[in-house]
Amino acid sequence: MAVNSKLRSAFLWRMLVKALTVRKGRAAIAVASIMVGAAVVFALTSLYLDISRKMSEELRAYGANFFVGPAASSPDRRFDLAAYRRIVASVPEEKLAGASPFLYGVVRLDLGNAVLAGVDFTGLKAISPYWQPEGGWITVDFDERNCIVGRGLADKMELTVGKTVTVFNRDKTFRTELRVKGIVETGEAADEQMFVNMSLAKKIFGTGGRIDLAMLSVVAEGTEADALAARINTQFPEVEAKPIRKISQSDGRILDKIEGFMALVAAIILVITTLCVNAILSAMVVERTPEIGLQKALGADDRAIVLQFLAETVLICLVGVALGLVVGFALAQVLGQTVFSAWVSLRPLVVPLTVGISLVAAIAAAVIPIRSAIGVVPARVLKGE
Amino acid sequence: MDKRIDFDTAAMFASDYSRTSKPVIETDGLTKQFGTVAALDDVDICIREGEFVAIMGPSGSGKTTLLNILSCLDTPSAGTYRLDGLDVSTLTEPERAVIRREKIGLVFQQFHLIPYLTALENVMLAQHYHSVADADEAMEILQSVGLSARASHLPSQLSGGEQQRVCIARALVNEPAIILADEPTGNLDEENEKLIIELLQRLHEDGRTIALVTHNPEMGALADRTIRLRHGKLDG
Repeated sequence: MAVNSKLRSAFLWRMLVKALTVRKGRAAIAVASIMVGAAVVFALTSLYLDISRKMSEELRAYGANFFVGPAASSPDRRFDLAAYRRIVASVPEEKLAGASPFLYGVVRLDLGNAVLAGVDFTGLKAISPYWQPEGGWITVDFDERNCIVGRGLADKMELTVGKTVTVFNRDKTFRTELRVKGIVETGEAADEQMFVNMSLAKKIFGTGGRIDLAMLSVVAEGTEADALAARINTQFPEVEAKPIRKISQSDGRILDKIEGFMALVAAIILVITTLCVNAILSAMVVERTPEIGLQKALGADDRAIVLQFLAETVLICLVGVALGLVVGFALAQVLGQTVFSAWVSLRPLVVPLTVGISLVAAIAAAVIPIRSAIGVVPARVLKGE
Repeated sequence: MDKRIDFDTAAMFASDYSRTSKPVIETDGLTKQFGTVAALDDVDICIREGEFVAIMGPSGSGKTTLLNILSCLDTPSAGTYRLDGLDVSTLTEPERAVIRREKIGLVFQQFHLIPYLTALENVMLAQHYHSVADADEAMEILQSVGLSARASHLPSQLSGGEQQRVCIARALVNEPAIILADEPTGNLDEENEKLIIELLQRLHEDGRTIALVTHNPEMGALADRTIRLRHGKLDG
């Protein structure tokens, strides 16, 4: 029995390969249609599964997303730089894109007062990747001879890159000369401020290692940011940490919209694929009507006809999907690079998902052609009607 | 000379069969209506095992309708049809498909070979729907119709006569109870027609039951007897 079934399958396989080979053109179009559908499903699903991570990373480019300030109980509305260092050390390295402490104060310049911020330049660059200072960044953390100045302040104080500016603290007990290393235009309050290394700011303001706030850029999705804030607040009672909601919420809204859009595009492509495959299979059935009539006259029942056309459809589909997976992976990389400037990782789950969805689409496409094949009346077609 | 004697003996023997052997096909009051037109009207026929019967008549006389019903490709509107002892007139299409593959061998005027399958595979196709495709057995049948050398050829590489011989081999391969042929020489030249007539004659001599629809008087003359139809009724 098993041998018979094997022999039957072998002949069926031989027949359907020949049937498709002889109709190479049509079969190739059907394969191409399935390939396009599978590629889009694969690419968009891969992107969908990666998008939260990619979006999170992408939004890091628009600034810090985590704020640490002093607890309400702090008498000077500041907290220790040492606490900041411990907080930063407590965040897992792979989750931390960058961080900088901020110490603000008013200083006197040659032409008036200005807000000066002490920062960690390496961290500031990481949390503000969109800052593109004219001139250049301060790249050395212990550099106490250079400063970065906001565009608005630079214009007011007539500062240009390379010019030296004299800085006094408010009571003029501290004086230093700084060279303008870079001028930055941010569209934010930073445009009216000047930035120096934290070590120098401590000397200017004499705050003894206390800072006003810290900004962090953390790779955290959904509730992870809230959990991190809760942990920091418990572990470091002298501070109050919170995710910057504006970005988190817009992050979620953008994600929802992009995911919905991708699902819509995938659905439309799948419908088009199904219609295309349906048209090709229908044409193939019409072309093969005499053949189907003969098979029925030789004793093929409906089951045999359904099995044959289903097997042909599945074969076309599997070839199309195999090609679609390759093209889809490439397409995912193109989309990933274009939209997020990042590679999209291959997730094993996407492969069976794509195969499954493509099979459903192909089988749905075959329903009407197979019904037509079953409906062939052999007595009529064998007479050439 | 010997052959001639053999032919005569076989003809007598076949004729004898018609009186003594069991009926393969029996119809009683067979009627087929297409709307208000009766394509067949109360047709009673009996074809016995080993008989070679020609069904003849002018165009529109109901020959093809009768052959379609006898082939289980169509059902009668009224009357009964017994094939090999089984009433097949009321069977459903799936049941008739089983009868077609088990009991009937069909030979067509237009051969109806699948163009992308070789001669051997076309024969194996009938085996595939009957039981299991067996290349050796299919080859033997092709050999018996003189086509073993053309087994791997596609229909487009065969002459009309060769294609018809493949069609006959396909009809024979499952050892059917009856071979039903519809104008088997209608698309052939004289030389090939002769070959096919000889082949059918030989099959008859081997004891096969054959019913064929033909316009060809020469072929009709070879049959044990002729069933004549006119306006859907038996003529004479």
